[in-house]
Amino acid sequence: MNRRKEALIGYLFASPWLLGMSVFLLYPLVSALYYSFCDYSVLKPPMTIGTANYIELYHDAVFRKAVANTFIYAAFALPTGLISALVLAMLLNAKLRGQNIYRTLFFLPSLVPAIPMAVLWNWLLNGQFGIFNVLIGKIVYHPPNWLGDPAWTKPSLVLMGTWGVGNTMLIYLASLQDVPTSLIEAAELDGASSWQKTRNVTLPMISPVILFNSVMGLIGSLQIFAQPFVMFPLGGPEQSAYFYSTYLYDKAFRDHAMGYACAMGWIMFIVIFILTLALIKFSEKRVHYGGT
Amino acid sequence: MAKLQLAPSRRNRSAKTRTLIKNSATHVVLVALSLIFIFPIAWLLLTAVKPMTEVLHDPPIWVPTHFEWNNFGDAMKYQSDTLGYIPFLVYARNTIVLCILVVTGTVVSNAIVAYSFARLRWPGRDLMFAFTLATMMIPFPVLMVPTFTLFHNLNWLGSFRPLWIPSWFGAAFNIFLLRQFFKTIPFELSEAARLDGASEWKIFAGVIVPLCKPALGVVALFSFLYTWNDFIGPLIYLLDQKQFTLALGLQSFQNQHGGTPFNQQMAASALVILPVMILFFFTQRLFVQGISITGLK
Amino acid sequence: MNLRPLVLPLVILGVVATGFYCETLSVGTAGPGPVHVVYWEKWTGFEFDAMKKVVDDFNATHKDIQVDMLSTTAIETKTLMAVSAQVAPDVAGLYGANIAQYADDRAVEPLDDLCKESGIKADDYLPAYFNMVTYEGHIWALPSTPASIVLHYNKDMFEKAGLDPEKPPKTIEDLDALSVKLNRVSGGQITQAGFFPPEPGWWNWAWANYFGGKIVDESGKITATSPECIRAMTWIQTFPKKFGGTEYQSFKQGLGNFQSPENPFMEDRLAMEVQGVWMANFINQFKSGLKWGAAPFPYPADRPDLAGTALVDLDVLVIPSGAKHKREAFEFIKFVQTQKEMEKLCLLQWKNTPLSKVSPEFWANHKNPFIKLFYDVSASKNAFSAPKLGVWAQMNAELGSEVDAINLLHKTPKEAMESFTERMQPIVDQYKKRHEMRLARGL
Repeated sequence: MNRRKEALIGYLFASPWLLGMSVFLLYPLVSALYYSFCDYSVLKPPMTIGTANYIELYHDAVFRKAVANTFIYAAFALPTGLISALVLAMLLNAKLRGQNIYRTLFFLPSLVPAIPMAVLWNWLLNGQFGIFNVLIGKIVYHPPNWLGDPAWTKPSLVLMGTWGVGNTMLIYLASLQDVPTSLIEAAELDGASSWQKTRNVTLPMISPVILFNSVMGLIGSLQIFAQPFVMFPLGGPEQSAYFYSTYLYDKAFRDHAMGYACAMGWIMFIVIFILTLALIKFSEKRVHYGGT
Repeated sequence: MAKLQLAPSRRNRSAKTRTLIKNSATHVVLVALSLIFIFPIAWLLLTAVKPMTEVLHDPPIWVPTHFEWNNFGDAMKYQSDTLGYIPFLVYARNTIVLCILVVTGTVVSNAIVAYSFARLRWPGRDLMFAFTLATMMIPFPVLMVPTFTLFHNLNWLGSFRPLWIPSWFGAAFNIFLLRQFFKTIPFELSEAARLDGASEWKIFAGVIVPLCKPALGVVALFSFLYTWNDFIGPLIYLLDQKQFTLALGLQSFQNQHGGTPFNQQMAASALVILPVMILFFFTQRLFVQGISITGLK
Repeated sequence: MNLRPLVLPLVILGVVATGFYCETLSVGTAGPGPVHVVYWEKWTGFEFDAMKKVVDDFNATHKDIQVDMLSTTAIETKTLMAVSAQVAPDVAGLYGANIAQYADDRAVEPLDDLCKESGIKADDYLPAYFNMVTYEGHIWALPSTPASIVLHYNKDMFEKAGLDPEKPPKTIEDLDALSVKLNRVSGGQITQAGFFPPEPGWWNWAWANYFGGKIVDESGKITATSPECIRAMTWIQTFPKKFGGTEYQSFKQGLGNFQSPENPFMEDRLAMEVQGVWMANFINQFKSGLKWGAAPFPYPADRPDLAGTALVDLDVLVIPSGAKHKREAFEFIKFVQTQKEMEKLCLLQWKNTPLSKVSPEFWANHKNPFIKLFYDVSASKNAFSAPKLGVWAQMNAELGSEVDAINLLHKTPKEAMESFTERMQPIVDQYKKRHEMRLARGL
């Protein structure tokens, strides 16, 4: 087969994605940029208003609150999720009977749809009659009012997020199974302790996956939507659980300020882009890309 | 000599005991953690069989005084007297139809595209691949409004189309996963087929795809789980209650005054979770293997 | 011949065909026979059933029009999106407070001509309700069911506390005094409250009106820092001040859902509550033996002119823009406005009637013992309703957040109302400016 023919077939095979990417990703992305300079409510044609949306965003106190909430949430949710998922995956990687069952049980929470998840946690974390506080109340005198106290709404969501780390855990687990046993055995022969084996063999071997999960976790936690959307319809007490995506949704679909929402979206895109690049750059020397 | 022989066996035995202790300790930790992880779900199931009077009791009631199995039936009834009009079975049908459409579309389109990225040479391919990976960084919120407008202009709103047609055009994550897998298959196989005069489509569908079933299975499972539980897509694009999916439809139990029949809502939720739970239990080995073979790195 | 490569294309073809088949399933086809009017309604449960009876009446008497009623969650968002997607229903049952935003966006049809044609006029309704369906000189909706909101009190709890169950508070000062006698605190925890402003917490903006103020005036000027508003907010803050912010929030968290047997009013945990005409039905449903009473919400002793100030609310029927069967839709809306059907609907939903004419049977058959009170406060000149503003949804949400801060003692009423004004006034102004800009540019 000559190169031209191969290239032609190559384009042909790739064409669904090239088309899909252009229509469903790039076109919307670019049109979002255009709308961000417009007053736009879907019902009426967009009206250009220059940078007014961005200026307004700069002065928007609730926007600032939503940004702060989102970063605070991500700062706690990301490490908590990454570490707990890794620990679980290591436990699940041990050669034991019944791992099938354990794996299913740990993964189960990520199969619970958003609505029942929110309803469930609303009960469990209820400050008065929630099971959580009934149990904690036996140890602590004043258990926190998880959902009613502005200081505790974000920790509640972090807790819920940790409960649903199944996907991340699974990806870790898969990578752990790829770590060659020969390396571990070699380390054992050298008299390495469990901690040393983990620190010096396992973690470097799976470091690309840790990076992958970090990037995905970063993007995911900055976009948190479904749980706060269902649990805290108006942003929770004092808007302490008002996040970037939920505010954007309200702006777009409650206030019909679609142009404003697009401006928010673009800012988010740029921030995520920069943070991701920074994360990859930062990890360059720390990630070990060796063949397995 | 005797002394020398004794030493390793003793070491062996103590190693065995150590392993035993370690394994039991791991089991204890795993059981404890499992209990924590399934506690909310256990609560969901318990609520699903409680009579309404015991659902929000203060202090909480753990095990219902009698099991209200009718909750499941009531939750599924098309027009239940107690709760109004929640066409659970219609939601189920919608969800299943959507899942079939999305899963087929995802598997087919991503396989074709990944094949091109993995096994065909064309100018700009590697650059395009890097670009493809970069699109994973586009956050959903930035697309929320413009895709809504796009589907509005295409006249797709209020139908299932916004939820399934895009899946027929590939997705970055899946392309990436499958590409890694396709690359592991020896190129000699393709060459041999080419020499036999097979067309590229024939090589793809007849040679490569049958060898890639585990990876395709993973992609299918991921997209199935995602579609089954997706809340945001249906929330934004579906307008008519008759078109709602299960994940969105569970919201219908919520009443405007908070008069939610929680027991029935949880019964319905249990019915929604059950199929995916069973599916996961039986496919988790494939899941883990599939992810690991594709060498996510 | 190897057929394997053909399997895949065939599968694809089959699935796509199924897809398009299912699309047609969900859309539904127009055939010969009666015109089908699609009607989306927010109600579920008994309220839905009540409306269904009216729909059935209509369908039985109109052979050429059939109304298909469908319960829809988040109706205010869904209907708007459906309008923009040109798949709107013919009739939608919105909340009265949605009208301004919908009208500004031209998402609903003005009904002036149709009303004139069929002789529907302002006099047919109590002014407070008719006022709610008009906006900027046009009629945009007609009532489905109204409500008025008054003070409900639990006579059992009054008796237990040694108070006269036939003497509800007349003034705010009375309410405060009674409230103290009904409060119970044990071990730092509130176990019972006389009055608790955050329950049910649906009308944060209305406190101002009970003190003669307004959060925002007709022109869109926010007046939340007026002495009346500050007074109202200061008053609601006296409650958490008495108990402590944390205890106050804990008590709120512990209160059961409204539509459940755990409703605090029925569980004897809350003695006095602002509630709507529908409350009687729920009491009947969850605690039929409860002895309770209703009275106009108290007024400040120094403002006797505010006696009988009552919040009224309205559920409405609109014709979304682009509805396919506008005339037939109006035919149905008109049918609901007839005295017979309206009274039937309101009787079944345990609500008062929005019509100025009331039949003796309505009074006789109504199951709410205080129905006359609910009607009278609606007819009073002191009846008030939510401000008619395009940005009301956002304003109400922002106010809720400030009221949270007041209840948590994180802000003084003055601080809260100032930051509310600072936040919302530019938004209101800009909304109006953009609206005018659009008109000027002919968009």
